Amino acid sequence: MLKVEHLEKRFKRTIKDNKKEEFLADNDISFVANDGEIIGILGPNGAGKTTLLRMIVGILEPSSGLVEFDSKSYKDDEISIKKNLAFLSGNTKLYNSISPYELLEMCAKFYGVKKDLIASRINEIAEILEMKNFLYSRIENLSTGETQRVNIARCLIHDPKYYILDEATSGLDIISSQIIIDFIKKEKERGKTILYSTHYMEEAENICDRVIMLNKGQIIEEGTPISIKEKTMTNNLREAFFKLMEGK
Amino acid sequence: MKNILKKEIRELFRDKKSLMMMLIIPFMIPLLVLGLSALYESELNLDNLKYNRIGFTYKLTKAEEEIAKRVGIDAHVASLDKIKEMYENDELDLYVTKTNNKYTINGVNNEAMLYAKSLVDSYFTLYAEFLQTEYLEEYNVPTDSFNQIIQVEENISDSENFFASYIVNYAFLFIIMAITVSATYPATDATAGEKERGTLETLLTFPIKSKDIIIGKFLSVSISSIITGVISLILVYFSLILAGNIFSIYENVNMVLSIESIIFSLVVILAYSFLISGICIAIASCSKSFKEAQSALTPITFLSFFPGFIAFMVNLKSSSLISLIPFINYSLIFKDISEGVINYLDIFLMLASTIFFISIVLMIVIKEYKSEKILFTN
Repeated sequence: MLKVEHLEKRFKRTIKDNKKEEFLADNDISFVANDGEIIGILGPNGAGKTTLLRMIVGILEPSSGLVEFDSKSYKDDEISIKKNLAFLSGNTKLYNSISPYELLEMCAKFYGVKKDLIASRINEIAEILEMKNFLYSRIENLSTGETQRVNIARCLIHDPKYYILDEATSGLDIISSQIIIDFIKKEKERGKTILYSTHYMEEAENICDRVIMLNKGQIIEEGTPISIKEKTMTNNLREAFFKLMEGK
Repeated sequence: MKNILKKEIRELFRDKKSLMMMLIIPFMIPLLVLGLSALYESELNLDNLKYNRIGFTYKLTKAEEEIAKRVGIDAHVASLDKIKEMYENDELDLYVTKTNNKYTINGVNNEAMLYAKSLVDSYFTLYAEFLQTEYLEEYNVPTDSFNQIIQVEENISDSENFFASYIVNYAFLFIIMAITVSATYPATDATAGEKERGTLETLLTFPIKSKDIIIGKFLSVSISSIITGVISLILVYFSLILAGNIFSIYENVNMVLSIESIIFSLVVILAYSFLISGICIAIASCSKSFKEAQSALTPITFLSFFPGFIAFMVNLKSSSLISLIPFINYSLIFKDISEGVINYLDIFLMLASTIFFISIVLMIVIKEYKSEKILFTN
């Protein structure tokens, strides 16, 4: 179980006359993601989704608040938490000069996958994601869709318990996006917990068990897509979001 | 850490630019050694051979002709007007006129005149000796005791060969420069480059301690620098042997580096490679982009070369205190080694100082990598 409690992140930004001011990118964010759940983090650009997910995966330190995976925080054991995590964002880049096989082998070693299991694990994933044709080509020579499959394979290699996906379909074509959606659905079936941030409301409505709507760093609504639509008396999450914005 | 090192080395050896930076300066070393040697030798030969065209406005006796020939003068005898015309047409470097027993050396003060005048001075010294001997013989005075009233011998040892000392020092300074250039590119690529390409974020999500990330990157950059240093040393070794065989300025000088010199040169190369790699990683990590890191590291290339160059020019000697000062200590120990002097205390202090500075630099970078600023500098 992933628990986020009163999470806050302050940044400094430059305003007029080169003066600095502090602002809250995320303000008092709390939620729980149970095992096997897909939680959608929804909001427009600048809502604080990426900052929130970066704090959850441990590459940003919260100004205050708590992140716990199975009752363990980063301060307790950063390495074992990260071994159970996979982070995939729209900005995630791969090492161009190596092949998908070499990348997966390297990631497997980082995650502590047993040496004698690495080759079979890579072959298994390559089969599932249909990567056999380009497994030994350099990543720089792959198409966007193929690169995205390598990215997914990278997340799967250590069979993590938690997936943190930040705008993972952003900027991708319909086929590449579908690869990611299918991957999320399959992993949910396997009982994995997935945190999925997006600004595509329809996408979230289709795959998320629960959604958290963010605006200007604050949670404006939380619940299942159906409950939010009922509460706001709207037909879809896009309308619900705008209605909630009006209310604020 | 082993996995990070493996990753970095794989990237390093697959990147053409990194490989080029590793090899470009070392392969300039033979050119430097042979080129400078050729220049020195041609300059030395020029002195005697080029500026020897001397005009005489009076007829030379047989004895005068012989002495002129002995000192290498190319004598031209003609009337004053003709000699002046030849001088103005640059066919002569100097000319000599004579009134009774008074000889006048004529010319314009320039480089040609200086070399030609030294020849004419030698000529008149020998001619004066000849006349004195002739005079004494006329009065039956034995001349041997007069001629040997003082004796001058040359006792210039081989190791004091000015050109050899110069060339070896320059070659060692070039090794330092080669190592620096070799460290800057991979250090930039492994830190600012990785940040710019967006792979650093991915790397930081892996279950790896920041200490392991930094040490892995540091070691890979050090390996690149050490390879460059070793290649440079090998090329210096063979270039010096080749130069010693080709050029007469190194006659009677042993241009072969001893085993001891090679071993301690390797120690300096190792120490310097580790230090410069740490410094380059530290500077490049603070940069927002590859370009910014490259700009920040450019002065390092000069900083690595200049202390040694200046120390060499002002003939600074190594000491225990100087052995503790980074950059200058490596150059001075190299200078000692090139002169066949191995000072164990200075080498030990240089190593201790290097370990101290590397530890500080790495501690700073590890702290930087623990902070989110490393990813989000803006």
